[in-house]
Amino acid sequence: MEPVIDSMKSGSVSAKDSKRLSRRGFLQASAAVAATAAGVPGVRGLVSEAHAKSAAPQAPITSHYTVCDMCFNRCGMIARVQNGRVVKLDPNPKFLKSRGMICARGNAAIAQLYDPDRLKTPLLRKGKRGEGKWQQLSWDQALDHMAEQFTRIAEKYTRCGVMFSPGSDMQSQFLNRFAEVFGSYNVTSHETLCLLSKNRAYLDTFGETPYPDVLYTKYIIIAGANPFEAIITPDTMDLMEARRNGCKIVVLDPRYTKTAALADEWYAIRPGTDMAFFLAMSNVIIQERLFDPDFAAEMLHGLDEYAAHVRDYTPEWAEGECGIPAGDIRRIAREIAKAAPEAMVYPGRRSSDYEDSTQIRRSMAIANALLGNWDRPGGILAAREVGVRSPYYDVPWYDDNPDDRIDHGMAPGLIHHEGSFKLMRDAIIKEEPYPIRGWFTFKTNFMQTAANRRKTLEMLEHLDFVVNADIVMSDTAWYSDLVLPSPSFLERDDPVGALQGSSACACAVWRDAVVPAMYESRPMLWICQELSRRLGFGESFNFDIEQYRRWQLEGIPDAYDVIKADGVYYNPSKVYGIYFDTPLKTLAKKIELYNQRYVDEGLDPMPVYKAPRRKDGTFRLVVGRTAFFTHSNTNNGLLIEFMDENVLWMHPAAASRLGLGDGEKVSVASGAGRVELSLKHFEGIEEGTVYMATGFGALSPGLHLVHGKGASIAEVLEDHADHISGNMAMHETLVTVSRRGA
Amino acid sequence: MMKKYAMVIDSSLCIDCKACMVSCKVQNSVPTGHWRNWIKHTVPDFTQGPLTRTHFQPGGCMQCDNPTCVQACPSGATYKDAQTGVVRVNEGLCIGCGNCITACPYGARFRHPEKRVPDKCDFCLSSGRLERGLVPACVDTCPTKARVFGDLNDPDSEASRLLKSRPTMRVEAKGVDTKPNMYYLASTAPLDWAGQVQFPPAFRSMAAVVNPVVKIAAGVTALGVAVMWVRQLLSPGDGEGESSAPKKE
Repeated sequence: MEPVIDSMKSGSVSAKDSKRLSRRGFLQASAAVAATAAGVPGVRGLVSEAHAKSAAPQAPITSHYTVCDMCFNRCGMIARVQNGRVVKLDPNPKFLKSRGMICARGNAAIAQLYDPDRLKTPLLRKGKRGEGKWQQLSWDQALDHMAEQFTRIAEKYTRCGVMFSPGSDMQSQFLNRFAEVFGSYNVTSHETLCLLSKNRAYLDTFGETPYPDVLYTKYIIIAGANPFEAIITPDTMDLMEARRNGCKIVVLDPRYTKTAALADEWYAIRPGTDMAFFLAMSNVIIQERLFDPDFAAEMLHGLDEYAAHVRDYTPEWAEGECGIPAGDIRRIAREIAKAAPEAMVYPGRRSSDYEDSTQIRRSMAIANALLGNWDRPGGILAAREVGVRSPYYDVPWYDDNPDDRIDHGMAPGLIHHEGSFKLMRDAIIKEEPYPIRGWFTFKTNFMQTAANRRKTLEMLEHLDFVVNADIVMSDTAWYSDLVLPSPSFLERDDPVGALQGSSACACAVWRDAVVPAMYESRPMLWICQELSRRLGFGESFNFDIEQYRRWQLEGIPDAYDVIKADGVYYNPSKVYGIYFDTPLKTLAKKIELYNQRYVDEGLDPMPVYKAPRRKDGTFRLVVGRTAFFTHSNTNNGLLIEFMDENVLWMHPAAASRLGLGDGEKVSVASGAGRVELSLKHFEGIEEGTVYMATGFGALSPGLHLVHGKGASIAEVLEDHADHISGNMAMHETLVTVSRRGA
Repeated sequence: MMKKYAMVIDSSLCIDCKACMVSCKVQNSVPTGHWRNWIKHTVPDFTQGPLTRTHFQPGGCMQCDNPTCVQACPSGATYKDAQTGVVRVNEGLCIGCGNCITACPYGARFRHPEKRVPDKCDFCLSSGRLERGLVPACVDTCPTKARVFGDLNDPDSEASRLLKSRPTMRVEAKGVDTKPNMYYLASTAPLDWAGQVQFPPAFRSMAAVVNPVVKIAAGVTALGVAVMWVRQLLSPGDGEGESSAPKKE
């Protein structure tokens, strides 16, 4: 049986492979190759099959472990290579975290590797930003230029005058290390447009960013998440397995997602009102004493306060806010309490929705606390130990640096190492508390993913030097001063990554290059090594990837050989009861229904419902993802076939009130901007809501499949922020929709 | 031993993620704009309110035991492989008439835009996956393992066991019992999508004359004989015994 794994370096032919190929298969395969290679009707009409088969022998296929990078979930893959080309990516059956699968995106990684739009050499901007005039540079020229610019900015504006934005990449740890040694605290990443509100809420309730044990749950409420569609994680497969084992799925979502389509019950909740549902649900559980009193006595802090807090948040009140009938709220509360503790409110991933998102997610976290599901099968689990270390390095002190990051203190619950892109952008534009003049982005595309593109463009006017490293000319690259070509994940050796995904998935992996790096693309480690040498701190990167991996795995010596053999190492650490006899990392050392630190910060200690803004004649715009694209990575020759531009979903009743027909071109306007795209009548959306998918309307002509196709969410979303975490709030934009040109 | 490859699909597990479609496309170099497999779905009835649902149904060539595409092929290029039960295309024999494409009630075939011959799912036989001990690309990659592939002649295969232990159904064509080898665990939907088999006009006019003869000739169809004859005429050196004339049951 396959797989036989060969290292790329050996280039060896798998003897097993060739033996296993029978003569017939061999001949047939040869014929197939001959026909496709010619690209013409190979053999037609009156030529016998035997003639068709007298072609050159087919090259053997070798197999190589790797780990996907089409989203940040890191699923195990086996790359099949033939004649030096990756011809297929298959799932690694030993990779439990991905449950032996690859999703559509992963299968399409081959189109990222061989994308004709790939960046091939370093490029220096010659015309105005966004004008598209570039000069090819050698790597030496590019690195010298970078070193010169960074030195100039550091001398004039301190080292914090350069902002760093590493993307979700296994080599991003090198750019983080670089930023720290270089001396800038101003690091921000994609997470500040994504899951920070959820993380903040759970940290402030449980003292941990937890993992849901979806596999063993018996009842799950999914609000503000779309695990069957938006991203394929272990939760996706586990939810299906749980469903097969009788788990009941209730979905609250203003739109009919794939998750809604496969749920037992779907409620088209009014956007921004989820907290009303969870407060009312908690009201029922507490009033009817449906919680476990022993668990409550031992684990909950502030139950009495919370009981008083939710007394008036009745299901009847909630119905008026969220539109879900009181009887259903009451019934669902009773049902889930009965299934507890093997029951949960799904924590979700992207929670960059509302200005009150941390408190909304806290109302969900507290509902979990009342279900008594903490640290138990089918419930909400603490993160497990993987054992991968971060190799030590010296961080120098620079006297002239400011005291803290630029967005320090701008949100009470800022997560320090992530900050807030939204707040940093505002601060850079104001040049307060201090100026930032440089920006180094790596495989992240704020121009497309962050709300209010005009503000990002405005921010660029305050920056003297913007450098972007990526695989293709993203919109962010298009507006940069220097663009560096990066290899895809199939072309580089990566450090060890510690992965956590669900109850069964604490593992360590690395990547070896499957094929050599194409064009002049260079990995981030090499860039950091070359640049640090030029800036005088080369000793901080004086190691090769092999040495670095050894350091990372010092605490788990078995892991090295296991990863070599299987492509993945699992640490047999504890799954449940991690906190048995150990106090939680919260102030109260218990699950905080009542948060004292919030009081000290002037925040509500318990989630207080605030009705979302409404305005006659407007719709609330929600954004989301499809099953086949990650963020703005839409320029993929294979995946684009499923959707070549985005459209605006609107309920037919709402559309008919506006006299807008299905398929008609409409104009969508907000306080941030105006976009045009086609309208889609769809009954599966709440009447006051419109929806569009992320990743279209690209500005960069370097993305030839999506340039000018559909509309960009960044163009029309207003840039609100979660007032606790500073996370971008992407569902706070009210838009008007009209016929194009009207 | 002869194999009878089949697919048993639990469509209730399908989340419409399209992984099977991309995996197939890459494995078999399926050209842009065409697919060898698909995911169909029911139309949600939103009057059901919170109980509105959609059922997704993965599919592809059904590798029928009564393959109308084979019957419609005038050159013998399309054949049912006796060794595997897979309906295959011998591109060297194809005259590009397109009859097989309209004769398939499932829309499982398309004309390859460059090769100008029909292209279809062959359970990844010609890609060499099966010989390398791998399951078809769509099955391997499926996140929820909705597609199960196996040999129905092997009673211990997962496909055989599923078929024995659970009630199944097949998507029926209108007017013809195609005897498909794609089984769905019961309650799949939609079921009404298969079209009418469209045989070529020449075939229809011949059938009226030929059918009585066929009955006399102990179950061997005139078309089958003709196809066999054409095949023998055209490929005298083909001694590999991998093909068979279409059989009518």
